[in-house]
Amino acid sequence: MVDFELDAAQNAWLAEVRDFLRRNVTPALRSELAEHGQESPGGEVASFRRKIGERGWFGLNWPPEYGGLGLGATYQHLLMREFEYWGVPGPDLTVTSVAPMIMRHGTEQNKTEFLPPIARGELTCAVGYSEPDAGTDLASLRTRAVQDGDEWVITGSKIWNSGAQRATHEWLCVRTDSSAPRHRGISVIMVPVDLPGIEIRPLYAWSGYRTNEVFFDDVRVPVGNLIGEVNQGWTYITGALDLERGALTNAGDLRRALDELIELAGQQRRDGSTPLQTSSFRRRLAQAEADVEAALLMGYEAASLLDSGVIPTVEVSVEKVFTSELRQRIADLAIDLLGPDGLLAYRSAGAPADGKFERLYRVAPLMRFGGGTNEVLRDVIAQRGHGMPSYGR
Amino acid sequence: MLHALFLAECPTSLVRQLRDADRRPMPGRLWKALADAGVFGLLLPEEYGGAGGELSDLGVFCVEAGRALCPTVVHATLQAALAIHLLGAPDQHAAWLPSIAAGKLCATTSLSNARNAAVIAPTLRACPGVDGGWRLSGTADFVGDADLADHIVVSGADAAATRTLGFVVALQADGVHIEPLRLIGGHRAFGIRFDDVQVADRRAVLAGPDGSGLTENTLRRVANAAVALLSLDLVGVGEAVLQRTVDYTVAREQFGRPIASFQAAQHLVANMHIALAAARLAAHSAVFWIGRGSTATHETAIARMHAANAAKSITLDAHQLHGGMGYVLDTDLHLFSERARVLSTLGGGADVAATWLEEV
Repeated sequence: MVDFELDAAQNAWLAEVRDFLRRNVTPALRSELAEHGQESPGGEVASFRRKIGERGWFGLNWPPEYGGLGLGATYQHLLMREFEYWGVPGPDLTVTSVAPMIMRHGTEQNKTEFLPPIARGELTCAVGYSEPDAGTDLASLRTRAVQDGDEWVITGSKIWNSGAQRATHEWLCVRTDSSAPRHRGISVIMVPVDLPGIEIRPLYAWSGYRTNEVFFDDVRVPVGNLIGEVNQGWTYITGALDLERGALTNAGDLRRALDELIELAGQQRRDGSTPLQTSSFRRRLAQAEADVEAALLMGYEAASLLDSGVIPTVEVSVEKVFTSELRQRIADLAIDLLGPDGLLAYRSAGAPADGKFERLYRVAPLMRFGGGTNEVLRDVIAQRGHGMPSYGR
Repeated sequence: MLHALFLAECPTSLVRQLRDADRRPMPGRLWKALADAGVFGLLLPEEYGGAGGELSDLGVFCVEAGRALCPTVVHATLQAALAIHLLGAPDQHAAWLPSIAAGKLCATTSLSNARNAAVIAPTLRACPGVDGGWRLSGTADFVGDADLADHIVVSGADAAATRTLGFVVALQADGVHIEPLRLIGGHRAFGIRFDDVQVADRRAVLAGPDGSGLTENTLRRVANAAVALLSLDLVGVGEAVLQRTVDYTVAREQFGRPIASFQAAQHLVANMHIALAAARLAAHSAVFWIGRGSTATHETAIARMHAANAAKSITLDAHQLHGGMGYVLDTDLHLFSERARVLSTLGGGADVAATWLEEV
């Protein structure tokens, strides 16, 4: 059973995180994030990341032998939820997904080479899984690595490679044995992005968000950059995807969005009217409140299960489906209740909450299909949660 | 015929160009092709150069316009023509309708509230001026296409005689101040302030067929016509997106088979189809009854509720079935999603339309 009450240490942790955010989320950081996302041309985001690294918070739930603080998943959940609430970047997939995989499956060389810089926030990965013809069907990936002496030679391309333009490394899924059954010939290699033969081309999404297509042409990396054992990559990444889904949202951003929306709903729109005067909007806000609170509990439960040693595959699938669809509903409700004012573009003059909800309407679709489509996750819930038969995907 | 016209003259590249331009140009070639095809006179009497058609004919046009993402300045002009036709007398008809029918005049309207089309309280105050003219003051908010239109048809309260009048005002006139509003996806609207604007020409004053002022019922019918026609545009948006989604899922293979062969994908498509069936019938029905002379508030409310929900859910589910391929700007799916969101909001969405059902 989930213990719904935080203990004294967890409460102290929450207070410490909030205090850190109050002191370090400066107007300069906020305006750089609003203007440039995480590209950090003015260095505010980079400096904020350094402060997180100095406190050891990138490795907060890693074991002490890898330089971590040894705190549990609940601590991580609380921190992520607060960071999301404040709308600032916290521990990313490198910390929450890549590093645990290295600890669990990596060679001793992998661990000593990659974990300390990850903990300091100096090594960041773009996750290179999907390819143009290998999306939901990831095991059909074709980017290949061929061993040549003490190097792997990589050729192929990846798509939806978000953050490649600011990452130091590609966490790359490649085919190392094309004769093996498709799940058995896959490996994971850590590839520095500044190597010759790598080309990054931007793709722009509806949200205004940049992702990339990345091309690898005879890129050479030392054999020691292969993670764990050759051809075992599929087991590693499916485990990581479970962790990734849990980390995709802890619903802190949804709590924040709804808090702001409730405040807006009580204020005058351009014509002087107030949304809260309309009963259907009050009803829809109440439903959103109930849903956001349930979403927060789902994140908390997943963290509790992780702390008790269980990988919460079904629970994080539930959380991911629920929060991604809730995010879309909140954005839709916001524009409905603001009316034409809600259509005013992100960062345009006079837009309510600076057009946050107009943007959220465009951001929300990503999380329904990204990180495992909701269709596949519903399969997971039915098949792994209830033992229902597979239909042979 | 319309389908071929839009295919040739309204490619998504044009839509994209108008979306992204700082000062968007008039879509001249498309406009001329539509004018040559008789679209602007479709509904107008033959004596003014029109085809004497029915509102339902315009409804059929709006579905095609939605499918093609036709620039809304076309809709705005059609609505202005309808308003002048319904609110004016022969003098006003003769002054404006021939040039609209010929595609020589581009216009927009502000005759109902952008937040709630059922609110038809006059937008402006109208004070009698010299020589029987009028002076207009006040603001019209979220007006469409005021950057491209030559004239606006706007309502004003004649304070002295406690009646409502309509005015056809040049947007270039002295005292008209236009504030552009940037909306989602390059869509735009305008806040327009009228600062003691002179209307001298009697032919620019709409006071009903007998000159006694505009009735609430007629204004409501004009507002409902706009909502119902734009609901059909939303149906067109939904139809185009449904087709794109079917085409994409049939072509896209994962796990060695088209993703269209998965039941989860088929059920989403079936849901799109069902939502569209409801919206299409409801919106055509509303347009039909308005065309027959009814105010049809009940039918208009139902049309808007179904069309707004259908267009939003269809476009968002289409993003889901397209995955990343529909999320990058290169594939244009967002153009449909943006139009769905805008047209299902202006004049009131499903929550607002539901309140219209309470009045009848």
